[in-house]
Amino acid sequence: MALQRLSFRLRQTVTHVRSLHTSGCGQQQAAEAVESEPEPLSVFRTRENDPACHSEQHMGQYYTLPSTHIRTLFPHGLPGRYQQQLKTFNEACMMVRKPSLEVISYLKKTDFSKPSLRYLFYGLNGTGKTMSLCHTVHYCYTQGWLVLHVPDAHIWMKNCKELMPSSYNDTRFDQPLQASEWLRNFRITNEPFLSKIKTKQRYVWTKRESTEEGSLLGQLVDQGISRVKSSSDVVGAVLKELRLQSGQPESDFRMAVAVDGVNGLWGRSTIKKKDKSPVESDELTLVYNLKKLLTKDWTGGAIITTLSQTGSLYTSKFDYLPQELLGEKGFDGMDPFLPVSVPNYSEKEFESCYLYWMDRQWLQHPQSRTEEGKKEIIFLCNRNPSMMDRICASL
Amino acid sequence: MASHASKAFLSLGRIHVSGVGLQKSLSRATYATGVSTHTGGGNKGRPDRGGQRQGFIKKNRRTSGEPRTDKMAVDQDWTSVYPTATSFRPSAVPLPVRMGYPMKGGVPPEKKGNLELIKIPNFLHLTPVAIRKHCEALKSFCTEWPSALGTDAQCDEHFPVKVESTDYMSAAPSLRNPSARVVHLRVKLSSLNLDDHARKKMLNLVRDRYCKDTDILTITAERCPLRKQNHEYAMYLLTVLYHESWKTEAWEAEKTVADMEDYSWEESPSQKNILSMLVRMKVAGEGEDEEVREQLLGRKEVQEYKNSVTRLRNEGESESTILQYKEAVKKVLNL
Repeated sequence: MALQRLSFRLRQTVTHVRSLHTSGCGQQQAAEAVESEPEPLSVFRTRENDPACHSEQHMGQYYTLPSTHIRTLFPHGLPGRYQQQLKTFNEACMMVRKPSLEVISYLKKTDFSKPSLRYLFYGLNGTGKTMSLCHTVHYCYTQGWLVLHVPDAHIWMKNCKELMPSSYNDTRFDQPLQASEWLRNFRITNEPFLSKIKTKQRYVWTKRESTEEGSLLGQLVDQGISRVKSSSDVVGAVLKELRLQSGQPESDFRMAVAVDGVNGLWGRSTIKKKDKSPVESDELTLVYNLKKLLTKDWTGGAIITTLSQTGSLYTSKFDYLPQELLGEKGFDGMDPFLPVSVPNYSEKEFESCYLYWMDRQWLQHPQSRTEEGKKEIIFLCNRNPSMMDRICASL
Repeated sequence: MASHASKAFLSLGRIHVSGVGLQKSLSRATYATGVSTHTGGGNKGRPDRGGQRQGFIKKNRRTSGEPRTDKMAVDQDWTSVYPTATSFRPSAVPLPVRMGYPMKGGVPPEKKGNLELIKIPNFLHLTPVAIRKHCEALKSFCTEWPSALGTDAQCDEHFPVKVESTDYMSAAPSLRNPSARVVHLRVKLSSLNLDDHARKKMLNLVRDRYCKDTDILTITAERCPLRKQNHEYAMYLLTVLYHESWKTEAWEAEKTVADMEDYSWEESPSQKNILSMLVRMKVAGEGEDEEVREQLLGRKEVQEYKNSVTRLRNEGESESTILQYKEAVKKVLNL
């Protein structure tokens, strides 16, 4: 089996070198061919760390994300338990799975002159939707796209400590804390772009402060972070600028909008106004502006989203299908989108995960290393990734 | 015998005689000892011969014979044992029935001498065999079931409206039962002459009384005191519903999208979305708005997309409908 894999790789390197592929990938492949690479590290790992080069043969294998990428790209995007795993194992390994491969293949084929398409990851709780989103976002980042990542749209719809009436529009409400935090993370992720993109409009914040036309996006973002009161409006301005500029002939960047828990944008919120009536989603500045970005009015990028039941409000625990979680308005708002199902681990993927944890010495219990123990784990978690994680954490 | 003699010797010699009166006059002590041994020997056939001081004499009782149940054959004619309604006779019923509250550590008392079994009404005179015999006897007075109503479908066709009511029987001081006034009226909507608008209006008027799976409308009337009145009220309701659903009121023009029963893709946000998207993608050629619209709507992919969205909305979600939607979107957007 190893020999087969080796020969397959060599064959692939030849075709890769010939085809018009991204230079980084080609060099990497060529270098490997020159080395006459020995057997791959193990069955469950792959040396292929560039998401652009991931393909069917890498399915079920773990690839390592470089730590620099993690710090810049995911200041706020990864699931909590995965972040703990990062710290424990001191490396970030993500599994290559079919749903994200499918979306990456569509992204590779996108025509950037056409309106941006919407992709939606859906599935049962804990099957890996957020991880698939992160994998796709990593691909976009390595391709040099501008990444607009909203880690969880539900946090904008609940637990708001400070709700202020918007200065721009009286009927809407601002959430300064969430907006400033998001701006900070946005700045960390997209440092290089902030000094390249220029604003096309003049924005007046107060009588004395304004941002002139033609100033850098970085200045706008800094303004929002320093002046927390107007941060929500700054977010709105940033989104508007990016939306207008993306896809235009003179701009040279591609934009990837990644929203996790997109069903929250059309759901009910638990935030209450002073007279105890609930706030509609359209009355929140952040949500309103983000929804404008989710329409198909702009070109030159893609919109990748996931559904999430775990953080959502007023939905049953067993809902997971798009229409159930999005509701009628959400469906009409997202339509037409491409739903991508994220299932539980397949047999091969489960094997991979199990071997990875064995390799990392995570499974300490003696019985978990036996065949019997493996069958027990399969029975207990039904190959659901998050359940498996929780069960094996105590082993 | 030897013992007798020895005892006689001990006493004053008069105790041999089994005379009644003399014994009493003798001293108590001797009598007592004597009698105790005597009673051991001589009292078998004659109970309480010395029991004059007890008072009454029990008459010789006839022992009861075998119960009739022992002589019953398994295949006997039960209708002759219990031809009419009579109380429970334990000797005539060959079942090992027990009835009553089991006392501590015990079981329910047996049927012999059990007043509980006698008190309650029994239907031992109405076994299936007995009923068959009754039916046979009544057959000569009956007419035949009409052949035109041989199957259920034919019955539905000729008699679409079915009225159901229940009669109650109980052994109680009063014959009346208040639940006997309830009347259920069932009719299939397919047998009524309703057009599209009338059918939708009828469904809105009756709401829960209609069952989608069986297409049956059930009207239950129980607000009047008599069954006849409830029956007439139910028929009146059916008539009124039918006539009202055919009428169109002025305010029905204000029906909104939320009131619609089925999802229709025309003029829906979904249609607008897909058309604007395709226009922006410049899939069709340049032209007038209307022409472009017609052209786009006529395309096969758009029709497929329309079908998938309609199916998703009307039938609800499932893996298959979602997959169909995904395929349709891929085709429309040329992925």
